Amino acid sequence: MPLLDLAGTQVEVDEDGFIQDPASWSEMLAAALAKMEDVENLTEDHWKVIKYLRTYYQQFGIAPMVRKLCKETGYDLKAIYELFPSGPAKGACKIAGLPKPTGCV
Amino acid sequence: MADSPSSQSSPMTHHKYSYHVENAGEGNHRAEKFLSAFAAILRHSNYRFIVELFARTTARCGRCAASCQVYQASNDPRDIPCYRTQLLLDVYRQYFTSSGQFRSRILGEDALSEAKMDEMAECFYRCMACRRCSIDCPLGLDHGLMTHLGRYILSEAGIAPKGLVVSVREQLEGATANTSAIPLPALLDNLEFLKDELRETKGASVDFPVDQENAEYIFFPAVSDYLMEADTLMGNAAVLHATGTSWTIGSQYFDGINYGLFYNDWILERIIHKLVGEARRLKAKKVLVGECGHAARSARQFVPTFAGDQNLPVVSVLELTWQAVKAGKLRLKPGVITERVTYHDPCNIARSGWIVDQPREILRSFVSDFVEMNPHGRENYCCGGGSGLVSLDETHDFRMKVSGKTKAEQIRASGAQIVATPCANCKKQLRELVDYYKLPVQIVGVHDLILRAVEL
Repeated sequence: MPLLDLAGTQVEVDEDGFIQDPASWSEMLAAALAKMEDVENLTEDHWKVIKYLRTYYQQFGIAPMVRKLCKETGYDLKAIYELFPSGPAKGACKIAGLPKPTGCV
Repeated sequence: MADSPSSQSSPMTHHKYSYHVENAGEGNHRAEKFLSAFAAILRHSNYRFIVELFARTTARCGRCAASCQVYQASNDPRDIPCYRTQLLLDVYRQYFTSSGQFRSRILGEDALSEAKMDEMAECFYRCMACRRCSIDCPLGLDHGLMTHLGRYILSEAGIAPKGLVVSVREQLEGATANTSAIPLPALLDNLEFLKDELRETKGASVDFPVDQENAEYIFFPAVSDYLMEADTLMGNAAVLHATGTSWTIGSQYFDGINYGLFYNDWILERIIHKLVGEARRLKAKKVLVGECGHAARSARQFVPTFAGDQNLPVVSVLELTWQAVKAGKLRLKPGVITERVTYHDPCNIARSGWIVDQPREILRSFVSDFVEMNPHGRENYCCGGGSGLVSLDETHDFRMKVSGKTKAEQIRASGAQIVATPCANCKKQLRELVDYYKLPVQIVGVHDLILRAVEL
């Protein structure tokens, strides 16, 4: 697996830049990952989504249903795409340190 | 690759093919593995007769070039279906026919080279196995089947897309037993959420039964629907509720996806056994497949092939809903959908003519402004992400610029505001096309629209 120099630490990522060890995630790392997903600055709106994703992931071991993410955070899908141009699965989940989604996602 | 240099700008590693592969390096005896897998498949399956027939009849007339949307967009001769088929038939003739072996010895033909292996690995994943060319082939050849066989043999030699392999590993050997790695508690949480949503939006108490024995149907959607397609699932459940159908979801196995259909026959068979096993555990009478083209086709076609005395009927949710509409059991309010709607045919259910008219009859019964793309039905163009390509993010450029180009043009020309399509794979690809080509349309499932119109 390639190593990536993020926020001053060497982090193992897969071919698409998803971090391999969810435990290596930190807020500083999220900011570094965000830059790769065309998110220049993480605003309060971004953090609301990221924190919800992490909380759900820690409880259930997978990302929430997209509709649930929208409902719980109060952002519709369009707003999520404005926050994370590469979308909820590939953009927001990557920044939140979740594993790469598999299957038809 | 722990010794890879780190890089701040890009995490991408160098890749040999347009898709990621686990541990497929040169010098890994790939050609030998390919030939021995090819030999075993010819010996132990019915492919020998098909390959022999194709090798005798294929005339390389090139008629298929005109029907292939990949070649039409790329103009690369490697994308002509009969050229691609020829790659495999050349190997067959050289190694597995006596005249070919003789000729090879006299002329001193090269052994299967690394370059040829690479060409096959690339070409067989530039085809969506949509089988549109099979309609036009004057000799009746099915190049999609050759793509499947080529991928099957390649996968036995260690060359298969990582995106598919990783998902299948989780489905067959992982703790969650599904391609999207959804743990059971998360599934149950999703079902509760969908139930609440239906109560809020439709004012009805619609159940998502789990582990009910002796149900009429056991339900297997593309498991990704549980993450991505809330409206499709609510539409499915609303129809089952409104028609008083007894159904269940199995807690031990709830994934309709079968990537074996895309690249490997014995994987296809193992996944069928898992699905049938869960149906039998809960003593369900029939298998109900959700909105997904390849899931519907793989179950419909291969449950009877592999289930033996455990066989049970397979029904697509579109067939069930269509029957309900015909029988007047479903009240779909006209006038709710005011947008112009078109329908995209998933190749896996339309090419054979199995599901072409049913969704149209459902939609026409409550959508006032329904238009067709041209061509459509059995002769439809693929979304451009078929045969598993859409699950490989790294093929995005190819899917947008080449394989999906025709579909994007068709959608734009239709003037539709909504494209309804009953397939997880097509939905994902079409949404990416909408984004890439800035098309002013929304991509939804057929049951998403039913959900809006249904009276509960």
